[in-house]
Amino acid sequence: MSKKECIAMLLAGGQGSRLRELTKKNAKPAVSFGGKFRIIDFPLSNCANSGIDTVGVLTQYRPYLLHAYIGNGAAWDLDEPGSGVTTLSPYATQEGMREFAGTADAIYQNLDFIKMHDPETVLILSGDQLYRMDYGKMLAAHKAHNAGLTIAVMPVPWEDASRFGILLKDDDDRVVRFDEKPEKPESNLASMGIYIFDAKLLIDELEADAIDPHSSHDFGGDIIPKLLAEEKPVYVYEFQDFWRDVGTVASYHETSMDLLGDDPKFDLYSDEFPIMSNVSTRPPHYLGPDAVVDDCLIDNGARIFGTVRHSIISTDSYVGERAIVEDSVLLPGAVVKDGAHVARAILGERAVVEENVKFGSVDTTKDTALAGDDVVIGRGE
Amino acid sequence: MKNKAIGLITANYKTSVPCALSKRRPMAGLPFAGRYRLIDFPLSNMVNAGIRTVGLIVPQNYRSLLDHVGTGRDWMLDRKNGGLFILPGTVYGGAHEGFRFLLRDIIDNKALLIRDSADYVVLSGSNVIVNLDLAAAIEAHEASGNSATIICHRATAINDDVYGLKVEGDRVVSLTRGVKYGDLESIDYCIFNRDDLIDVIENFAQADYMALEEAMFKAEQAYQIGYYEFEGYAAGIYDAKSYYDRTMDIRRPEVYTALFNPDRTIFTKAHDAPPAKYFKGSVVRDSLVSAGCRISGTVRGSALGRGVVVEPGAVVTNSIVMQSCVIESGARIENAIIDRYNLVPSGTELRGTPDDILIKEKAEYV
Repeated sequence: MSKKECIAMLLAGGQGSRLRELTKKNAKPAVSFGGKFRIIDFPLSNCANSGIDTVGVLTQYRPYLLHAYIGNGAAWDLDEPGSGVTTLSPYATQEGMREFAGTADAIYQNLDFIKMHDPETVLILSGDQLYRMDYGKMLAAHKAHNAGLTIAVMPVPWEDASRFGILLKDDDDRVVRFDEKPEKPESNLASMGIYIFDAKLLIDELEADAIDPHSSHDFGGDIIPKLLAEEKPVYVYEFQDFWRDVGTVASYHETSMDLLGDDPKFDLYSDEFPIMSNVSTRPPHYLGPDAVVDDCLIDNGARIFGTVRHSIISTDSYVGERAIVEDSVLLPGAVVKDGAHVARAILGERAVVEENVKFGSVDTTKDTALAGDDVVIGRGE
Repeated sequence: MKNKAIGLITANYKTSVPCALSKRRPMAGLPFAGRYRLIDFPLSNMVNAGIRTVGLIVPQNYRSLLDHVGTGRDWMLDRKNGGLFILPGTVYGGAHEGFRFLLRDIIDNKALLIRDSADYVVLSGSNVIVNLDLAAAIEAHEASGNSATIICHRATAINDDVYGLKVEGDRVVSLTRGVKYGDLESIDYCIFNRDDLIDVIENFAQADYMALEEAMFKAEQAYQIGYYEFEGYAAGIYDAKSYYDRTMDIRRPEVYTALFNPDRTIFTKAHDAPPAKYFKGSVVRDSLVSAGCRISGTVRGSALGRGVVVEPGAVVTNSIVMQSCVIESGARIENAIIDRYNLVPSGTELRGTPDDILIKEKAEYV
């Protein structure tokens, strides 16, 4: 097999419990987003658009839909022989079988995959983030610094900084300190959970970490602090564009709303850096004789007979006559029947709101209303 | 694996009325319903019936058609066993209107028929918009013991562009051009026993330009030809008027559901267009809108193809706007078909009438 400059390892195995009902039956990276995409489309498209043709996707929690969606990777042009997408799940050996115990352990258990491709560098990605990034630029910075590890960072508002892993750097972008969720942050550069490792360093560190009884086998908690303690060359790569973690119901809703408006923070319409997806073929959507649509995204196969304001209507969703949908996200196949009113809500795939039923509230002090996949919301619920 | 049936689609015939939409592309490659092309219907009907070997007879101007079908991957026809076969069509078929299945086109591509061991061959044209349970029709043909079965429906209007069936009992005795209301009208899908079809083309190997059905009826051996009546939505596209009407039909819920039945997907070339975006102030009623559109203006009673931009203050009424057109601020379009890649500048009016639809030809890709 030919030697690769860089391969990607995409961490897609977490349960994503903070998305509550949305990940009850489905892994977080396979959750629908933006009307027709699934969350994993964003990192996979970034890989394809950055010329990274080999991606290992580490799966563990409820992987069936995720595996089916990834398929052979053809939807992202990641299906060439000897490269492309490979799904990597926990497996059995002569010593038995064990699950992935942490982000670092998940990669450790798949070191054979990395060794088989024998790359110079390994890009480690998360499967729950929305952003558009040319990893080639980060790789160039990594090489220019002759770094062992490069961590992608972005400035966050100071008041939010204590929710993130915060990095302090010197004038040469070299990391001098890493504080996980500091109470009094001394910097506002937050780790995005995107790493480029020198492959040899990664292999050595993971093999050492695997036999360390005190390690929790986590990149942020164990591997990065150890590299810094050993004064290994760790650098930051500063990213300035739009980036969001969509791992909670609130951030999922807020990030969805960020796609709307006259000048959205995230441009879905870029021709040069397209977001690719593995969607089924559905016809154009239909807006009925009395439909009202105002500041929305509406995908193929949807049928709208009522009013939709400031919302995202995904593939094959339905909004009945006299129904109102506002500040909401309807996932694929969701149905809002005649006269129903849905406000600041997320309706899971094929979820149904029955006729004349009210679901959610425009009151922004209340939590976003959420109905899981296939849930039927009737009267009194 | 032995296939029960293989398919053969003719996409190289011209229709009776010359039409600006098909000046630079075969009818089979005509964009339809926002994201499809006419060829998607026969291809999808065949693969939805389990057919995995399909020959596509193409005309001389096949560029856009082949750009669309590619290796057949989007119809599951990119395969080791079987798959999509692009076959050369006669010039004669493209120069003379009215053919559905020209004997010479089948003779020239006999290899497809003799290299397979399937029992049946499904022939289809590419002008009829239908979502058909072809598997059920093949079963009915199998049970009938006939040599061929012509799939038909009851004509809903006078139409000179189609073929009517004259039947006696459950047998077809002749095919004639033109139908009136209530006649049995062919929808251009026929099922043949492969052996009988090979027999016919061998017996008529010298006949140059004869229609297949003519040969069937003329043959010394009396072939038994039956018919299978289809009761769902089926309607052909032969000119700009029927193209316009068929597109507008899809706004009717029963037609939308019949054609785009999720159990039998109409497949088409995959595109990654994001959802359509409606800006504040847009007014869109009774319209079909494809992914990738960005709409700020007013759209009524219309169908928009992929990636169409309707700027603020632009008004599109009772019209079809195909892929990638830009309707600039203040432009007005009514009773028109705007072919792909057109930019309609600010202040322009393009107006036809319900009886005389205005056609703006395809612009050069920029």
